[in-house]
Amino acid sequence: MSYRLLLTLAIWLVLGLMPLALGSWELAMFGQLLVYGIAAASLAFIWGEVGLVCFGQALFFGTGAYVMALTSKGMIPGIPDSAWLGLVLGIIGGALAAAILGGLLFFGVGLRSAYFGIVTIAAAVIGERLATNWRYIGGFNGLLDVPPLPLPGGTDSADPLMGYLLVLSFAFLSWLLLLALQRAPFGTVLRGIRCDERRMLSLGFSVPVYKLVALAVSGGVAGLAGALFAIQFSFVSPAVIGLALSTEILIWAAVGGKAVLMAAFIGALGVKWVEGALSESIGAYWLLVIGLAFVAVIVIFPHGLLGRLLDTGLPKRLRRP
Amino acid sequence: MSGFLPLALDALNYTSVLLLVSIGLVIVFGMMQVINLAHGEFFLVGAYAVLVLQGLGVPFWLTLPLAFAAGGLLGLVCDAAILRFIYHRPADTILATWGLSLAIRQAIVIIFGPSSQQVVAPLTEPVNVFGISYSSYRLAIIAIAIAVAAVVFAVLYKTAFGLAARAAMANRPMAQCLGINTRRLDRVTFSLGAALAGFSGAVMAPLMSVDPQMGMGFVLPAFLSILVGGVGSPAGAIWGSVVIGGSTTAAASIWTPVIAQIIVFSLSIAIIRFLPAGLSGLRRK
Amino acid sequence: MLEIEGLISGYGKGASVLKGIDLKAAKGDRLAIMGRNGMGKTLLAKTIMGLVRPSAGKVKFDGIDITGQHAHSVSNMGMAYVPQGREIFGDFTVLENLRMGVIGKPGLTLDLDRIYGWFPILKERERQRAGTMSGGQMQQLAIGRALIGRPKLLLLDEPSEGIQPSIVHEIAEKLRMICAEEGLTVIVIEQNFDMVEILAERVAFIENGKITGEVPVVQLAADPDLITRHMGL
Repeated sequence: MSYRLLLTLAIWLVLGLMPLALGSWELAMFGQLLVYGIAAASLAFIWGEVGLVCFGQALFFGTGAYVMALTSKGMIPGIPDSAWLGLVLGIIGGALAAAILGGLLFFGVGLRSAYFGIVTIAAAVIGERLATNWRYIGGFNGLLDVPPLPLPGGTDSADPLMGYLLVLSFAFLSWLLLLALQRAPFGTVLRGIRCDERRMLSLGFSVPVYKLVALAVSGGVAGLAGALFAIQFSFVSPAVIGLALSTEILIWAAVGGKAVLMAAFIGALGVKWVEGALSESIGAYWLLVIGLAFVAVIVIFPHGLLGRLLDTGLPKRLRRP
Repeated sequence: MSGFLPLALDALNYTSVLLLVSIGLVIVFGMMQVINLAHGEFFLVGAYAVLVLQGLGVPFWLTLPLAFAAGGLLGLVCDAAILRFIYHRPADTILATWGLSLAIRQAIVIIFGPSSQQVVAPLTEPVNVFGISYSSYRLAIIAIAIAVAAVVFAVLYKTAFGLAARAAMANRPMAQCLGINTRRLDRVTFSLGAALAGFSGAVMAPLMSVDPQMGMGFVLPAFLSILVGGVGSPAGAIWGSVVIGGSTTAAASIWTPVIAQIIVFSLSIAIIRFLPAGLSGLRRK
Repeated sequence: MLEIEGLISGYGKGASVLKGIDLKAAKGDRLAIMGRNGMGKTLLAKTIMGLVRPSAGKVKFDGIDITGQHAHSVSNMGMAYVPQGREIFGDFTVLENLRMGVIGKPGLTLDLDRIYGWFPILKERERQRAGTMSGGQMQQLAIGRALIGRPKLLLLDEPSEGIQPSIVHEIAEKLRMICAEEGLTVIVIEQNFDMVEILAERVAFIENGKITGEVPVVQLAADPDLITRHMGL
């Protein structure tokens, strides 16, 4: 086992042992960071594997959050008000939003990848404006009092320990799923597309379908993060769907390591933690600092701060001898 | 008829400024294969330059060239401090401009505060055009923006600099082999694009509320217009601005701004879906 | 005029295609480089020109070390490149293409008459979009664009490619005349022996990233088997 994989597993172990070290309030705060971590990892998947830079990841995150909130509050006609159903529909909602965007952009004559970025920016801006102006889903104020997720044993996700363990399990499962996809033949095809789309097309792979599925998977995982966010904070607002959050997710992934799931995950935890620690002392300067730090990382560490450290690489059978 | 003319003039006003912003995006893309996501912040800097200069008692018309210079200078600084290290990595350059946009916008928030401020228009008396009363300042903007765009196109299509720039856009390695310093061209075009954005921000300042978010709001349609027009040639910016400017103004006069935005966005997606090279790609077929 | 020592170069990281090239051309030399496809001939041209940075070795041009210099500096020192596929600007007019030959070079004027004297067809087509011309005409434009910048050395990559034989012959004759008139040094990468026979004086063979031998053209013309042997066919 390589030391990188050991390090990655050690991180999971440390995260699993956190409840022993932290008080219930800190634990709840830390659980929130994990949600951001899932969102960053979902972006790193599409970024690292397919090379698509999505400036609208919050669109999928926000869709998941809104679907979760609407379902669990019984606001979607014909659908029972179940929190667990909301979670499932949140994932599907995120995946569907991504699939629609991908369907518009990848099929037919296809879109230059440089365009993908600005189309996703526009989509994120419009998503936020739509949510702000749509009275039924709460408009500018969003939706309050999203109920917690009931858990077996009579507790629910509002309990700090249970809430933390719930989010941690979902984070671990998401990581496993995305990692498995990376290492499966599916991931190999995606990397082929990243390197040379036309060649993959001429080899007979349906490039648009692969890209669409990859984006939908990324959107689904982002939707899961959004749904978990809605339960944790028990409210959603247009801010969860907009460009500002999309930008944040992008920064987390880039600072951690855009192509490595674990690096992006830790990037989100790290950046959010620093933000929490500094926001009181530097206030409005935070965004200036993080903007410049982001540029500096892009220039100096194109693989992110942790990209090389946590890159578990490919299974042996896929490596060069 | 009386409702149509002001609308047409509004559309022309918006389109002409959009054109200035879009030209900058197109030439930077052509040269560096990068969509400059900090373009909106150069626009912002132009608008705030007017605010500051007016506060210092500088006459409005003089603030326009100064805003142009401010945008250009900032563009030069960004290139010298950041872009020159990564111009050979276009994907990272796009990200870097994104980070820059965040930083510049926040710097403006820190200096001027997040709330919106007003810039006084130099011409307030409406004038009579074709029997209707219309803002004289907007008419002046139309004339100025079209004149500036004409100068930019003349530079691109009639001068040695323009020839070299278009050559570098068409075939960068070959232009280098003919003795063209493409890196210097990158810097000049990036700075020119930033200057045009700054200038546009300045002329639009009296018509918009000047706040830190105005840049993104104005440049987003410009992004769409370069997609629609095509990035293959600077002339594509004209087509794109006409389509986006016209449809935005028309849709916003009928529906709410949000619905208008969704309609224009969908229209843009539909156009690039079927014409990947944009409208300017049509002509070449 | 041009000295290449131990040049190692490749596309991307790792694998090098050129594995230590040594070549020399004195002023006024007309040297051809022949080799099979995939032996790195075009890469050699790109490395000399500064489009590809070598990982080791040296290129000296006119006594100055130009290894790792940018292509535009190399061009301004007097090296002109007519690349494979000609790479003329298809959307530009013929005249604009010719102007491109001088605008990067300070102090040069657009001496069109000289070029039109050699290639009258370019004068005829002056206002035409270059992309609409035939292969042979485009090649003449590419050569004219290189010559208008008053180079000391002309580097041609497969100038005969995609051109019908009678025109190849004509272009080769014309190039030889121009080079003699102007005292130009010529390095031509070519597979077509017709072109080589007329234009060059000696041939260097390249195989597997190394120069395997140099033979005077007259000798090759007398004994065509030599070519097949040297090209490893």
